[in-house]
Amino acid sequence: MVRTPTPEAVTHASSRPHIRAIVAKPGLDGHDRGAKVVSRGLRDAGVEVIYTGLRQTPEAIATIAIQEDADVICLSILSGAHLSACRRLAEALAKHDAASIPVIVGGIIPDDDIEALAAAGVHAVFQPGARLPDIVEAVRRAAGGQS
Amino acid sequence: MSEHGRSDPAPQRSTNGFDIDPYYDGPPSSASATAPPPGTYPFTRGFNDEGYRERVWGMEMYAGFGDPEQANRRYRLLLENGATGGVSIALDLPTQIGYDSDHPMAAGEVGRSGVALDTFSDVERLFEGVDLSEAGHVFTTANSIAPVAYAWVYLYCQRHGVDPASFTLQIQNDPIKEYVARGTQFLPVEAAVRLAADVVLFSHENTPRWLPISVSGSHMKQAGASPALEAAFTIANAITYMTEVEKRGLPLSEFNPTLELHFCTEMDLFDEIAKYRAVRRAWSEIARTRFGVPDDRMAFRLHAATSGAPLTMQQPTNNIARITLQVLAQVLGGIDAGRTASWDEALAIPSESAAITSLRVNQIIAHESGVRNTVDPLGGSYYIESLTQQTYDVIMREVEKIDEMGGSIAAVYNGYIGTRLADGAYDQQLALEKEERYVVGVNRQVQDDEVKPPRFKIDESSEQRKIEQLKAVRASRDDSAVRTALLELERVCRADENVMTAVVAAVAADATIGEICDVWRAVFGEFTGGFQRA
Repeated sequence: MVRTPTPEAVTHASSRPHIRAIVAKPGLDGHDRGAKVVSRGLRDAGVEVIYTGLRQTPEAIATIAIQEDADVICLSILSGAHLSACRRLAEALAKHDAASIPVIVGGIIPDDDIEALAAAGVHAVFQPGARLPDIVEAVRRAAGGQS
Repeated sequence: MSEHGRSDPAPQRSTNGFDIDPYYDGPPSSASATAPPPGTYPFTRGFNDEGYRERVWGMEMYAGFGDPEQANRRYRLLLENGATGGVSIALDLPTQIGYDSDHPMAAGEVGRSGVALDTFSDVERLFEGVDLSEAGHVFTTANSIAPVAYAWVYLYCQRHGVDPASFTLQIQNDPIKEYVARGTQFLPVEAAVRLAADVVLFSHENTPRWLPISVSGSHMKQAGASPALEAAFTIANAITYMTEVEKRGLPLSEFNPTLELHFCTEMDLFDEIAKYRAVRRAWSEIARTRFGVPDDRMAFRLHAATSGAPLTMQQPTNNIARITLQVLAQVLGGIDAGRTASWDEALAIPSESAAITSLRVNQIIAHESGVRNTVDPLGGSYYIESLTQQTYDVIMREVEKIDEMGGSIAAVYNGYIGTRLADGAYDQQLALEKEERYVVGVNRQVQDDEVKPPRFKIDESSEQRKIEQLKAVRASRDDSAVRTALLELERVCRADENVMTAVVAAVAADATIGEICDVWRAVFGEFTGGFQRA
């Protein structure tokens, strides 16, 4: 399936009036405080946020991101399942020719796993203690870097 | 004082948002605020004058990961080190959500945030070498799956000759809060509450010492509620459950002694101590005025856990100080038993040594600090009595507001509770970033860490091993007995009968948790959404 731009999209994502971000909860983890705080923080910074709600498969998140013509995907994972979730998301995006959508991950992620996440295509990782301005900045950078 | 006059203003605002006076020189002005002695209605100070003078609070160490053998080893270690709170079982997410370990949704999650259990033989492996009567208590956070967890332990007692009266099983069994704060729901709310009531009723009749429901605020607090709202929403949910079981023939006056209310303890010592006192008062008044509970049945079980939310990844040994203050707050609040987190838990399941340290924190407070020498040591403190009164006022006001909405389920559906939680979480984040709230190591005394805690690593092969075990059970059982049991379960669900007898029979026939929960999904409809506003 080829990624089809919506009518409002223009040739370069950064020339759109605002960034469209997916905030997603992959897998079975049901703690969504972080996802909701980040969603609100992004919205307050002028980012358009589509929050997927709980218990999404990585494949579903990829589909939502493509259908919504998202500029960036933000995953919130607290269950320790981040490596498999990110790898599956990367596979799903690639399969639909959407590997250019950057992925940012936040949650309970130990330092040891950051390299493996980068290898799975993750642009930025946020750990406990992360601040909203830094997350907003990472989202802007990731979205702006999209070609 | 040698601070050289450097200005460093305190936030001067409680975590409840109450204004705090520079000092307190008298009891709260409200006439009803003077707390009567322990053992006197409304029991603000405690249900008796015994407190911890004769018995210590239960020290419960929540644990679980991997397959049953791995979890079993951790439980035995904890019991050996003084975990008087018994075997406290963290279940993995697939189990909690009613998925077998080989379900597609379980991939990558088996045994990760708790132990994986699929069938009864897993429970036997889980308890290998553990004398449940000696352990005294078994706890598990089974919510949507509570009937299955109850049935597992009930059957274990039957098959292994354990007298159910020789220990207590405590099941969290509080589905309502899942929809706003925890997210393991898979059925519509009403169906989930019906199943929760089935467990309560069956337990009261068959295993009357057990604690079949632990109405919980701790997850709502960790989702963003203030201590006062945590208490209020918990009590609102307890009213909902107890009204339901009363409709089905079990009055609160009979059940209250085996009702557990569960909360978490965060960092504001005084707001938390006041909250536990206010909860005793508020629930006692509600129990009397709404449910006619007599004074001699007022003592419910007050339970707590130290919240994981304040624990930091940065400078993790600081968390030992945090845990110490949290345990101190909850025992000064007079809990019956409490779970304690571990200092390395911000990033992973606790290591053995960190878990033992948390037990030692409890033991040091119990045996070295003098906190046990009198009941409600801070009773009479003007500050504590003022905070208790204010917290109580918030509880009663919120309960009335929720009443007017039609009860706590209505307050879940209309987004009221979810919005209060989300607002609280966002406000806390902004306060942290604006330095109106301090966390040492995060926005004060920030420095690079030299200390990396020993990170507990999950055995990555345990998922596959668990799946093999499950397949072996499926291959060796009598499939027609399973089918018969599941058909009977479906029948009682549709006939509005108590499901528990059928669940026990299904578990005895080696039906898997997924098979049992799929009957409920088929009968009641699967519902995985929340009522959350992002």
